[in-house]
Order: sequence, then structure tokens, then C-alpha cells
Amino acid sequence: MSDAASRAGERRAAVAPLKTHAVSAAPAVPGRWDRLRYPAISVLSVTTLLTLWAVIANVFHTSPMVLPSPQAMAEHLRDLLAEGYAGKPLWYHILASLFRTLTGFFLGIGVAIPIGLWIGYSRTMNAVCMPILGFIRPIPPIAFIPLVILYFGIGEVSKILLIFAASFNFTVLASAAGMRSVPEQLIRAGTNLGLSKRQLFASVMLPAAMPQIFTGIKTSIAVSWAVVVAAELIAAQAGLGFIIEDAGTFFRTPEVLIGVAIIGAIGLLFEIIVTMIEGRVLHWQGKG
Amino acid sequence: MGKIWVDGVSKLYADRSGGTLRALDEVNLSIAEGEIVCLVGPSGCGKSTLLNLLAGFDTPSTGRILMDDALLAGAGPDRSVVFQSPSLFPWMTVLENVTFGPRKRGVTRGEYEPESHRMLQAVGLNNFFHHYPYELSGGMRQRVQIARALVNRPQVLLMDEPFASLDFQNRLAMQELLLQLWEQVRSTIFFITHDVEEAIFLGDRVHVMTASPGRIKASIEVPFAKPRAIEVVTTPRFVELKDQVLRLIRDEFARSDRAAAERQAGRAA
Repeated sequence: MSDAASRAGERRAAVAPLKTHAVSAAPAVPGRWDRLRYPAISVLSVTTLLTLWAVIANVFHTSPMVLPSPQAMAEHLRDLLAEGYAGKPLWYHILASLFRTLTGFFLGIGVAIPIGLWIGYSRTMNAVCMPILGFIRPIPPIAFIPLVILYFGIGEVSKILLIFAASFNFTVLASAAGMRSVPEQLIRAGTNLGLSKRQLFASVMLPAAMPQIFTGIKTSIAVSWAVVVAAELIAAQAGLGFIIEDAGTFFRTPEVLIGVAIIGAIGLLFEIIVTMIEGRVLHWQGKG
Repeated sequence: MGKIWVDGVSKLYADRSGGTLRALDEVNLSIAEGEIVCLVGPSGCGKSTLLNLLAGFDTPSTGRILMDDALLAGAGPDRSVVFQSPSLFPWMTVLENVTFGPRKRGVTRGEYEPESHRMLQAVGLNNFFHHYPYELSGGMRQRVQIARALVNRPQVLLMDEPFASLDFQNRLAMQELLLQLWEQVRSTIFFITHDVEEAIFLGDRVHVMTASPGRIKASIEVPFAKPRAIEVVTTPRFVELKDQVLRLIRDEFARSDRAAAERQAGRAA
């Protein structure tokens, strides 16, 4: 037996009795602990990280420019909430980013879903659009920032347009793929029941394509949120991207971190909301 | 109503190498009104191709199919299909699935609702109106499919190995159920299966199909009167018929095996 193998054997031997013990100690019926085990581990993981941060910042007295302590961050957050940033209240910045994102996002998916469905439905439309979309897709949306600024200036239109493009890109392809992957059997079942082409499209193909459309929507909202921050880094007078860019210029690390944390929290919130809607609408997905 | 005449129908497909594949070759078949016809044969012999032509999902390459002396024109609810694989709409409840066709065709609620309830009761799903397909077992899903087909009052019911994926008990139950339902609706039934016993138990007539090219090799009249009970399958006459059909299929299998071996040898040489 090689060295490594024998070590692995020892480890297994050391673990085995522990395992038996755990099994015998656990109740036969899955108890509350079994249900809470993994959430508890997650909570522990986050708490450990935060504690580590607090300990390092406070024990080593790290410069607030590099790693501000949690209590310093709390103070800055209080100030931000009370006084705002750059003469505008914090909620104004948040709403500015949200407005741009959601406008671009909804316009994007609103245009992308019908076009995507059409591409998936018609081979001609597919032949017309796919080479172009396939080429554009891998280009990061922020690569268009200089062009957009050149054509549309540094106002709201430019930012919303960028987000629109990002949002459109993912949902159009997902919708087309969804349409193409509608099971032949369902289409036949619909035809057999005497549905017209239009009814077949609206009542069979569209709902059958919904799971993939939703996958596109999820990606679109995440990318839209990423792009708004990138767009605001370049030219903006308000917004969360503006805060972190502006605060970074003046080495105000706590404000940068707070901005980043808010961006993260809202991104997470988006995902939770979309997943919730998805669970409601597509409860049948992937079952049976 | 529901009389079908398949007249010299062939169906050719282009295969991958650019040649043509003869899925059906000069198939002639006549099905009387209200008759239950079973089609047995090895998989890939073109059984489903024929069903798809009857359903109107596809058109014959040559020959013609007449129903009640008129050429078939596309798919429609007068020839309702029960598919083998899942084909219920997964986002609709049982009741929504069953009422879907009539609703979309503009049948009034007062008409389709009692009829749907009656059909679902007939297939034994009274308590499952508001369940989704994913909450049902395989057998129950096939019951929904049958109800969804029959609610259209089809002249012909086309069934493509509908019970093939069910376990033995369920399959027996469904076969008996189908015969009971037929007593009520009396529509023509075209039933594809590879289960010889199923074919003889259900059919007034059993057609045996050959593979590549797909042809009707033999047609056997089943003499048992309906309504039939499952006990019929153990009678000597039944066993005799089963033996006869099995022999036909086995000969056919040996022939196609030999043909395949010859083709292989030809390729090697």
C-alpha cells in the first residue's frame, strides 16, 4: 500500500466511529436539527467572516483607508443616511440606479421576448438575426460605453440604452432557445385538439417556452444591475456607481464599501424576487 | 362515421446519407365504423408513421387516406390522439387539460363543462380535477389523456402505445377501462402496441406489420364478442391466436435479422 493510500485509510478509520456515533445519536425521524443543519452552517460561515473582519481591524488597527472596522463603517453609514452623499440623500442615489436599471431592463426584455420568440419560430428570422446576435453576445456591454457617449452624450439616455442592450441580449437568445425547444409532442397535442396557429402559439408554445425565457430574464436582471454600476462609474452625478467611484477618488474607503454592500444587497434582492415569481409561475417546471 | 380507408399509402423519408428510407410501403387498410383495430409489429416498423398520417400530422408520399369517403385534411379533433409519451400540458390542471380543446374551439362552457366532468368521472378521476399532471401517476396521466381525447367526441381514437410505460396491473386496468369506455362512445379505435396479448384482448382485428419497409403482413380476425372480460386471455382460442401472431412476428424478426446481416456482409465485401 502506498503512503498516501495508507494515510487515507487511517483517516477513514478515524472518521468511521464518529459517523456511527452521529447516526445512533440522531432520532430515527428527521428532526428540526436535520432541517436546520445547513442553514445553520451558512449563518455560522457569515458570522465567522464578519467576526474575522472585526478582530483583524480592531486588533491590528488597520488604516480605515485599507480596512475600516465594522464600528467605523456603522458610523459612516449613519452619516450617509443622515446627510446623504454629494448633496443628495442616500435614497436618491439608490433610486437613481434603480430607475435606470429597471427602465433599461424592462424595455430590454419587453423587446427581447417577442423578437426572441419570433427567431425561435421562424427559420428565416433565425437566419437573419442569429449571426448578428451571436456576434454581439460575447461583447461585454461596457465596451459600448465610449460609442454610446459619443452618440447620445452622458445623460440618462446613454445609461438606459446600455442597460437595455445588456438586458435584451440575454433574454432574446433565451427566448429563441425556449421556442425552439418546445416539445414536438405538445405541439402535436395542440394541433390535434383543433387549435389555430395563433392559439397554438399563445396557449402552447409560449407557456412551454417560459422556463427558458425565465432563465434569460434572471441573467438579464443580474447583468443590467452590473452594467448600471459600470455606466455610473464613467459619467454620472448620482447613483450607487457614482458614490463608489467618487468616494474611491478621495480614498473614502468606508463609503466605497457601503456602496458596494448596497449594490450587493439589491442584486441579491432582485434574484430573490425573480426566483419567487419563477417558483409561482413555473411550479410545474422540471417535475414529472 | 369513423370509417377509414388507407389506399396504397407509402411514406418515404430522406435518410442521413442522402438516400430514401421507405417507412411505409403500399399499405392498404380498411377500418370499419366503430371497429377496434390493433396494429402490432417490431419497433421501428412504421406503426407510428401510419398513426401520424391518420392523425394528419404528416401526409403520405403516395396513396391516399379517406375518412368517411373524404380525403383527410390536416389534424383535427375528429381523430383524437392518445400519445405514449407525456403530452399533457404541464402548466394546466387535469380539468384545464381536458377542457382545453373545446374551450379553444369556442364550445360554450355550458356544453363542455358537464361533458368534461362526465369524462373525468368515467376514467375514474373525480377527485383529481385540480391536480397538475406532475402530481399524478403514469396511469392517471394516461387516463387524463383518454378523457381529453374523448371529450371531443372523436369519430376515431388514435392510440400510440398508450399503456406501454405502465406496470402490469395498471395496464390491465387501463385495457378494461378502454373497452368499457368504448361501449359508451363506440368510436373507431386504431390502437398501436407491441404487446400481442393486449392487441388480441382489445382488437376486433389485429394487423401484423413488417419492418423496413413497413407493410401489413397479416390481418387476423378476433372472434371474441364484446364486452370482453379479462378472463378471455386464458381461453384456448385466445392462446391459439396469440401463438399465431407471435409466430408471424418471430418469422418477421428472423427475416429482418437475416436482411440486416446480409446488408452488413454486403458492406464488408
